[in-house]
Amino acid sequence: MGEYLIRRTLQSVVVLFLISVFTFGLIHAAPGGPTQIFLSPGLSVEAGQIKAEQLGLNDPLPQQYFRWLGNILTGDLGATFKNNIPVGDILWPTVKNSVILMSVTWILTLLIAIPWGVYNSTKEYGLSDQTASFISYVGFAMPTFWFGIILQSTISIKLDWLPLSDMYTIGKQGDIPDLLMHMVLPVSVLTLISLAGYQKYMRSSMLEVLQQDYIRTARAKGVKENKVVFRHAWRNALIPLITLIGLDLPMLVGGAALTEKVFNWPGMGSLFVDMAMAREYSVLMAITLLSAVFVVIGNLIADILYAAVDPRVQLGKGGK
Amino acid sequence: MSAQLQPASNTEAPADIVPQSEKPLGPWRLTWNKFKRNPFAMSGLVVLFLFIVAAVAAPWLSPYDPARQDLLSANLRPFTGDHVLGTDELGRDIFSRIVYSGRISLTIGFAVAAVAVIIGSIIGAISGYFGGWADIIFMRIVDVMNSVPTLFLNILIGAIFGTNFLLMIMILSLTSWMGVARLVRGNFLQLREMQYVEAAKSIGVSSWGIIFRHLLRNASFPIIVNATLMVGGAILAESGLSYLGLGIQPPDTSWGMMLSNAQEFMLIDPMQAVYPGVCIFLVVLSVNFIGDGIRDAMDPRQKAQLSPRRLDQWRAKFSKSTK
Repeated sequence: MGEYLIRRTLQSVVVLFLISVFTFGLIHAAPGGPTQIFLSPGLSVEAGQIKAEQLGLNDPLPQQYFRWLGNILTGDLGATFKNNIPVGDILWPTVKNSVILMSVTWILTLLIAIPWGVYNSTKEYGLSDQTASFISYVGFAMPTFWFGIILQSTISIKLDWLPLSDMYTIGKQGDIPDLLMHMVLPVSVLTLISLAGYQKYMRSSMLEVLQQDYIRTARAKGVKENKVVFRHAWRNALIPLITLIGLDLPMLVGGAALTEKVFNWPGMGSLFVDMAMAREYSVLMAITLLSAVFVVIGNLIADILYAAVDPRVQLGKGGK
Repeated sequence: MSAQLQPASNTEAPADIVPQSEKPLGPWRLTWNKFKRNPFAMSGLVVLFLFIVAAVAAPWLSPYDPARQDLLSANLRPFTGDHVLGTDELGRDIFSRIVYSGRISLTIGFAVAAVAVIIGSIIGAISGYFGGWADIIFMRIVDVMNSVPTLFLNILIGAIFGTNFLLMIMILSLTSWMGVARLVRGNFLQLREMQYVEAAKSIGVSSWGIIFRHLLRNASFPIIVNATLMVGGAILAESGLSYLGLGIQPPDTSWGMMLSNAQEFMLIDPMQAVYPGVCIFLVVLSVNFIGDGIRDAMDPRQKAQLSPRRLDQWRAKFSKSTK
């Protein structure tokens, strides 16, 4: 276990390093190089060259890369080109907003999906099971942002029940009830989209566990069906779900970008979109790298938890 | 092989004594036969076919040029004059725009799936068959690409290289081949140990010959299923990017772009947001149904599709009749 942990962590570091090279290379592969994009078109050629010299854009690429990497590792994410604002000052508040939105969504999703999946596995092809599979087809085929727009036009505009967009009403910053009101629509969109997948996964995991020998043994010795499901099957069926949760951690950050944009939620995803429009590459690089860190850590946590929860899993032995 | 054997057996045994056996159906025919019996998959096929016909016949179907602005007849309700779905805020005919958008969205969906499958198959085949350094390098690239959320990756590449129609296809396929590569690699790791591969090697077939003639064909079923499902994903991704304004650019039009337009004018005409969304939804749903249908039809383990409830009913009936 210890050896595996070390090897796995080293692997993650290597992947992160490659991602930083990849991101950096991508920006510098742009036609005309970063100088062309970074500088505003109104600038004269001489002024442009002076600015490029200041930013160190004329240095050899490896030197630029290691300077950038060194800065990132010491917590300096660079500054925006337009107003020279430190990237961290823009980025961290949006990360916080995204985490608020996503954690509520996630908890809600799991709270609904797990019991529902368990129930559906005991009543296969029943009404509730059919409904769930219908929702999952709809959820996979419907553009998230379209669902958001439809909710906005019905619930916010026609019925006027909930606020249309943003995180707070103007002048009510930090007001918790106001925040909750603003959260209802984006959270329900995101929950409905991810609900189907989790439910389906939980259900199939349960179905597999219910076929195991120890379940038959438990039933044979006369354990009540409720107890079989909740004491014996349920806990074991949760294990594969842990992997899914770890793997989905980043998808939620990235996948929320569209929803954040629809509801004008000041999160990391909508910041990324805005900055892509404004061509602020230092911010884009920082967010790409940060989300990659999320992914790699998510995978690592999933692997470790998987072994910690299930003693039968022997990491690093056999398998691949 | 059977064609060579048949004349010989015919001379020994006359056809009227031993009835000539029918030629067994090929795997494609079997798949189609099973696919036909799946109502969801077939209705998906019909809907998708209608959309494709509409996209191909767009110039004849649409009464107006989709980019033609006519401010005098802006924001018309549906069924005014020959504007079947009304007009938008610039007086552009919505029905024409929907039809022309379908052209772009469908082309992107199919093109991206095709290109991504080709890239993914080649990379997966090299990794799986040769192994070694090629495998390590390609799989690290897959890891890296998988570690950045796809939407961010699309936006990043689009912001750097720009987004026109062809670039969109390139960007979306460059960010979606990883799944196919992993799938093909996994399949190849199994298949390359097969005896027919050994046999091919022993008679001197080149590595590429083995990959393209023997292995890729044997791995084709899962690749096809994956490709079908990828069409829907590509259409959704395109609509998302175009909605954000980072995809298809005017004067071209796509369903995602129409949606972002519709959101701006939601207070005036909420129905404008419905049409393009329904189109995306229907197309993606049909493609997913078709993909699932193909998967079920190609799965040799699923001989008959009976739900457990039906099976129980059938069993109950059967046991009663034997009593």
